Amino acid sequence: MWDIIAVDISGRHRIKGGYYMVCAAVTLTVSANHIEKIKQIKIQPLWLKRAPSLLDIVQLIEDTADQLSFEGTIVTEKGDMYNRPIWVLESMFSRAFKYQESIAERRAIELVHHISLSARNLLINELQIEA
Amino acid sequence: MKISAEKKSGNGNRVILVKRTSPNSDPEREKNLFQELRELARAAGYLPVGELTQTRFPDSRYQLGRGKIEELAELVRSTGTEKVIFFNRLSTIQLFNISEMCGCQVIDKFQLILEIFAKRATTHRSRLQVELARLKYEVPRARAVVSLLKKEERPGFMGLGDYEESYEQDLKKRITRIEDELESAEKDNESLRAFRHRKGFSIISLAGYTNAGKSTLFNAIVNESAEVKDMLFTTLVPTTRALDLGGRKALLTDTVGFIEDLPHWLVDAFKSTLNEIFLSDLILLVVDVSEKPEIILQKLSTAHDTLWDRIQGVPIITVLNKTDLLDESELATIMEQIGYMAPNPVFVSAKAGTGITALKAEIIKHLPPWSFYSLSLPNSEKGMSILSWLYEEGIVHRVEYGEGITVDYESRTEIIKRAQALIKTEEILNNAKATE
Repeated sequence: MWDIIAVDISGRHRIKGGYYMVCAAVTLTVSANHIEKIKQIKIQPLWLKRAPSLLDIVQLIEDTADQLSFEGTIVTEKGDMYNRPIWVLESMFSRAFKYQESIAERRAIELVHHISLSARNLLINELQIEA
Repeated sequence: MKISAEKKSGNGNRVILVKRTSPNSDPEREKNLFQELRELARAAGYLPVGELTQTRFPDSRYQLGRGKIEELAELVRSTGTEKVIFFNRLSTIQLFNISEMCGCQVIDKFQLILEIFAKRATTHRSRLQVELARLKYEVPRARAVVSLLKKEERPGFMGLGDYEESYEQDLKKRITRIEDELESAEKDNESLRAFRHRKGFSIISLAGYTNAGKSTLFNAIVNESAEVKDMLFTTLVPTTRALDLGGRKALLTDTVGFIEDLPHWLVDAFKSTLNEIFLSDLILLVVDVSEKPEIILQKLSTAHDTLWDRIQGVPIITVLNKTDLLDESELATIMEQIGYMAPNPVFVSAKAGTGITALKAEIIKHLPPWSFYSLSLPNSEKGMSILSWLYEEGIVHRVEYGEGITVDYESRTEIIKRAQALIKTEEILNNAKATE
């Protein structure tokens, strides 16, 4: 069993006034096909006037992961990182990085996707952001 | 010119294999994907006589650059090739343009897979599945195909609308008809599966990348002789055989292999076959461990991708096959690299027959649990018939004959519940008789 930080970002489409993104990061202990333990969840919103670049995305993920008290390999979906090859991203992160592969990692991404999506919906409602 | 994939293929036809590689992709991986295309062509019965690759972003008209296509046309003429196979998915316009330029039939990887499936399809159901997959592939192209072929022609006075419309409608009608028929076949399978479960059988299926050695392992476990070949997609129709695991009966199913980038319409078409895997009690994920670790990881990732959202927590045993080709230290190194993708690993050589006992032990460990129970049966004719039924459905550990029959019994919970219900009915009947 080993620790991963599953990350997902919601809201990468343009709304009135720019891009309102919410990044969620979860530290979990996983085996090959099961999530064994969920340790901590952190959420970080970001307003951008312009379309996010790869660097913005990496920075947002790093900022969210920094709030976690546990370490692990960052795992994301390929599409979240603009389908860039793994070696490009490995050199951009301060932690170990990989794309989702195993059943457990995919399940973790599914979980974190729902967290970021519902957190963004909540924030948009509470802050009365025009979507 | 015919540009659909209907033509029957193979029989040593000469082909040229073509692949476009995106800039900044991993060269090692691209090499492996090309090797897979070669093997697919071989599995379809083609004889590759030339290969062509180009690194660039896709061209909307030709996929490759125009110059490269001219080079391809020249190669087609000089080698007398009858077909060109592209690795990349081609749009209808690209298919049309390339085949016009080369003067021969052009297909892409997905059509090639369909051709292999069509060749191997032997049962009514698998033929329907192949037909469904082909139709689903064709629908989005239907309009463009017709308008390309009938550029100048239009239905005249009193014509019933455009050709494009009617062809597309026709395809859609055929899809609905086949889906209905497959659905009824699926229901039959579901009831068969439920029946097997009721009979106390656990259902185990073999899954894994194509050519991982699933059929060889199947033969080694059940002492059968399913067709085994060093070729992609040897098995298309699931084969099921009974398996005795120290008294517990199980059914082992050999299934179709996975392949990377299998498009959704193909997975949907083969849903009823893949359901054999998704709805089983245990999955044996077979991996060819003699390959390079990166390739094993890639193939495992494809298998995990196909399985992850469909199996709902079914336990998986990773069977690392072909261990006879490696020594112990090599195996340890590979395990270190692929361990995070291999739940419950077991080393096996299906060909040499080693590791099968350990695999069976692992299977027993992961099968749905059986319950132990002590039952008291009446010592009567009816009681004896219940006892013989118990022998059929599970494991009888101890029987004691006295005034009644005491049985220590191990079986699925449903079987025990049914036995208890039977005993109760028998007791009520006996009591009723006694009061009479």
